[in-house]
Amino acid sequence: MLVLAVTAVLAAEQLPEKPARFFNDSTGLVDHGVAEQLNERLAQYERESSNQLLVAIYSRMLTDSSLEDYCTRAFEKWGVGRADRDNGAVLFVFIEDHKMRIQTGYGLEASLTDAECFRIIEGMKPFFRKQDYTGGASFAVAAMIEATVGEYQGSGKTLAESNADPQVWVLILFLAFILFSIGLYLYYRIRGDHLYDAKGRRRVQGGQPWYNWNWSSGGSWSSGGGGWSSGSGGGGSSGGSSFSGGGGSTGGGGASGGW
Amino acid sequence: MKSLLVVLGVVAVIGLTVMTGYNGLVSGSQAVDGQWAQVQNVYQRRADLIPNLVKTVEGAANFEKSTLTEITEARASVGKVQPGTAPSDPAQLEAFEKAQGALSGALSRLLVVVERYPDLKANAGFQALQSQLEGTENRISVERGRFNEVVQSFNTKIKSIPAVFYAAALGFKERPYFQAKAGSEEPPKVDFKFGGSAADKQP
Repeated sequence: MLVLAVTAVLAAEQLPEKPARFFNDSTGLVDHGVAEQLNERLAQYERESSNQLLVAIYSRMLTDSSLEDYCTRAFEKWGVGRADRDNGAVLFVFIEDHKMRIQTGYGLEASLTDAECFRIIEGMKPFFRKQDYTGGASFAVAAMIEATVGEYQGSGKTLAESNADPQVWVLILFLAFILFSIGLYLYYRIRGDHLYDAKGRRRVQGGQPWYNWNWSSGGSWSSGGGGWSSGSGGGGSSGGSSFSGGGGSTGGGGASGGW
Repeated sequence: MKSLLVVLGVVAVIGLTVMTGYNGLVSGSQAVDGQWAQVQNVYQRRADLIPNLVKTVEGAANFEKSTLTEITEARASVGKVQPGTAPSDPAQLEAFEKAQGALSGALSRLLVVVERYPDLKANAGFQALQSQLEGTENRISVERGRFNEVVQSFNTKIKSIPAVFYAAALGFKERPYFQAKAGSEEPPKVDFKFGGSAADKQP
């Protein structure tokens, strides 16, 4: 019986997918230009502070569970904030449900306290009652940044940006491999005619390495390198800074409200 | 001679299995106790809010004293039931739950009574406390849920082969779960949604 009830809840539920950006408005109610600005502001804030603050606006919740439970599990699924700092916070807004919630990660509980979240939610209500979603969202973003600023130091990059950077050791390995290949090629080129195996047979014909390496295939490597650099630019393809979660966790802190 | 070697070999294999299994059980048991500490943390957080709450509410003119006395007493009895590690005796967990449940009940009764005091409800200090209480109730339900998950994985480990053969001998016991009350998919926070929801619905 209980199992049946639980499965029914699970079947009806759909946790929102991890958002691609910092400011996500799936309803289109927030002015597009302002949404872009807020997204960049939140991305810049992560570069400066490493705190990941997100805004996620949906038309409604797809669950039978409570707002708090739903937001907690969405937050965990997205992994907002760095794993070692848990410094994430998400403002969830469900327009048709007239519900919203600020969910804070463990690491921001001290600065973005429940009472502070409550204050921000209260401040948003007058905007939302007038259907001024742009104004409400701008207010919330400014207030959330103000509350959490100074809590941590940033690295100058968002997690999405540092993930997209080719790893330094990959570059070093790649360069070492190229140098090694060139060296090997030259070595056989010069010494080619003098190479014999134990039985006195020539291993190399006409200066060509015995493994018959087609050097022109080297060209495909550089295109491979091009693939990486396009990978690093991939985040920008959606137009604006993208969000990538660091595995941060929440303990259920924050505040909820309706309007 | 040969059979002696075989016996020695078998004993060595069993010994190794038990040793590695033991380490797994230790880390599982540590995880349970660690999550228990989190649970106690959030309950403590709630208990810490209460003196402030009582003080704020007392300030409101002629507020019923009986509700406040009830809360203060419930808080005191909560302090007496504080297992340091996750209990392995279901009765112990039940006692913990009963004490915390009494406090939850007293708190929700207080918040119902507050409904009759508009001045208090509008008081900024009280509103801040109320939001902290709501947040804490939500934290409690989150950490309790995670505690049950950790306990479940530990209990599964204990009851699986090969640990089932030696877990009890090494002193590892099944840990009890928090009881889910009827309709507990809803966090208890709902009880506290008194002033907020009514005020929120105003246009």
